[in-house]
Amino acid sequence: MNLGESTRLALESIWANRLRSFLTLLGVIIGIAAIIATAAVINGLNRYVAEKLSNLGSGVFTVQRFGIITNRQQFIDAIRKNRRLEPADGRAIRERCPLAEEVAWEAHATRDLVRRGAEVRDVDIGGVTSGILEIEPYDVEAGRVFTPSDDEHGVPVAFLGYDVVDRLFPAVDPIGKELRIDGLDFKVIGYAQKKGSFLGFSQDNFVKIPFSLHRKLFGSRQSVNISVKASTEDSMTEAMDEVRAVLRARHHLRPADPDDFGMVTAEGINDLWRNMSQTIFAVALFVVGISLVVGGIVIMNIMLVSVIERTREIGVRKAVGARQRDIVEQFLIEAVLLSCIGGAIGIGLAWGLSALLASQTPLPAEFPIWAPPVAFVVCTAIGVFFGISPARRAARLDPIEALRSD
Amino acid sequence: MTDVIRTEALTRSFEMGSTTVQALRGVDLVIGRNEYVAIMGPSGSGKSTLMNLIGCLDTPTSGEYWLNGNPVAQLGEDELARIRNREIGFVFQTFNLLARATALRNVELPLIYGGITPAERRELAADALRQVDLEDRMDHRPNQLSGGQRQRVSIARALVTKPALVLADEPTGNLDSKTSMEIMGLFDRLHRQGNTLVVVTHERDIAEHAQRIVTIKDGRIESDEVLRSAPASESVAESAPRALEAE
Ligand SMILES: Nc1ncnc2c1ncn2[C@@H]1O[C@H](COP(=O)(O)OP(=O)(O)OP(=O)(O)O)[C@@H](O)[C@H]1O
Ligand SMILES: [Mg+2]
Repeated sequence: MNLGESTRLALESIWANRLRSFLTLLGVIIGIAAIIATAAVINGLNRYVAEKLSNLGSGVFTVQRFGIITNRQQFIDAIRKNRRLEPADGRAIRERCPLAEEVAWEAHATRDLVRRGAEVRDVDIGGVTSGILEIEPYDVEAGRVFTPSDDEHGVPVAFLGYDVVDRLFPAVDPIGKELRIDGLDFKVIGYAQKKGSFLGFSQDNFVKIPFSLHRKLFGSRQSVNISVKASTEDSMTEAMDEVRAVLRARHHLRPADPDDFGMVTAEGINDLWRNMSQTIFAVALFVVGISLVVGGIVIMNIMLVSVIERTREIGVRKAVGARQRDIVEQFLIEAVLLSCIGGAIGIGLAWGLSALLASQTPLPAEFPIWAPPVAFVVCTAIGVFFGISPARRAARLDPIEALRSD
Repeated sequence: MTDVIRTEALTRSFEMGSTTVQALRGVDLVIGRNEYVAIMGPSGSGKSTLMNLIGCLDTPTSGEYWLNGNPVAQLGEDELARIRNREIGFVFQTFNLLARATALRNVELPLIYGGITPAERRELAADALRQVDLEDRMDHRPNQLSGGQRQRVSIARALVTKPALVLADEPTGNLDSKTSMEIMGLFDRLHRQGNTLVVVTHERDIAEHAQRIVTIKDGRIESDEVLRSAPASESVAESAPRALEAE
């Protein structure tokens, strides 16, 4: 018997029991859909992270009180040991690290802002030294950015994120207008392009003001983040070493002590992200693996039922000359087809789901093109693995006994 | 000239829990080419059991069976499947048609396993259905056909591979007498065309279509009577004179 004939038979049989076939396939459908949807979300996040990191500029790193913290112990140690970073640290780096071409620092505070009855909550108020523009240029929609003298002379000017403009200055040009932050009036000098949101967090909910004014308003107890740009991309590692040496000396660390500050690079974030996404994917794979095994067992079960129901048919086939391998082929193809149909429905579902996630939720999701072929391979394997035993059982039926059964 | 069927001391018993049912207790039977043999006997005497052995659907508990001179016991599964497919046409009392398939598909079935191409298959199956006067029922499923029509489909299926040996186990058992006569007319024609036929029946008038009646009782051959010594075949010349060993 040829493959076309077996396929036709299998499709006929699946179609004859379509509701049962569909219910049988739920496990496989859900498993495949879930894993592909997860992959789609990770895929989307990957792209987002890659884009963000490429924005960060080459040869740039940041020194923070807490770097990238990946476990609880690190967190406890860092809280206990890590010292606040001061503008003086930044100045020391600027003076003593020849490979640090540009050094800037930024302090943060969070405030609700009000203007003429309109309110924006939880705005990130960043106090920056003007050097930050050399390291991480702002995407200006209108107006201008800070000049070095704004910071030096403590000029109350502000550069706004898009959300702040949108909410507090509806239908007016904000440039030249006043904005009150903690009792001090700032003149708006410019605002940024819309960045959009990530994982539900708006990236446009910020105000930048000169560093000196930030200190005046919010005090000098906050640790600052120090951004450093190495003179060339290749010299970044050496620049980091220089910075590390300077800070360790300033903090009086002994050679055996670990750093009491963190350094964050694009690569570091990327590694962290890759680690995280791989863990998420591995967990998802494990859970889905279980659901696929269950799905496979259900397929095996239904194939066994099908063999029993069709004992007579098998008897007839054997009586007119079907060999064992013909019967095995027929039932195996049915199992594989069944599982692949489940896979196909799962792929379709995942495709719809990732489109839905991308449009209706903050999760960026991007359907991975490798998913369909991989899913089909997996489903074929499931069909073969769980179909072989029912198929063998069918093939070994004794023709006479099969014909006598009801 | 080899015999089509030769059995020696053929037995078949079935284990039923602690007891053993002796369905056949030593059957010696020789059937030559183009013979037309009826097998009779009371219910439970072992007729079906014998037919299944002859048809290579079952294997004997002991004894020997040669089909066309070849010892069947030495054949493997695939070989047996091939014999069922090419050399024997089996007609069942209960038709044994695939319920979901049309008459045409049912008749095509042996050809599918014979590796015949779809186009040729269709043609041969349609031909076989024409021979049993069912060309206008090809797309009907078994439940859309009468009992006689179903049996004709199953005969068409048995004939479609042009087997030399046709076995029928009570082919008219489920049919009324008029339909039975139609079916027997078909068998008579097959015999005239040179086929070897073995037909199991309960009814004397059905059995009398054959040249020879073998009666079985309690798993043994009780009598073997020749009704007509001259074969009714059109191709008498190649039909060997039968060495009929009456027991
Ligand atoms: N698969 C089986 N398992 C157990 N016993 C069987 C089996 N097949 C046949 N027998 C027994 O073997 C004996 C012969 O059965 P068989 O079917 O050959 O009779 P038969 O002559 O065809 O009868 P009938 O005219 O009713 O069809 C019976 O006693 C039956 O119960
Ligand atoms: Mg019987």
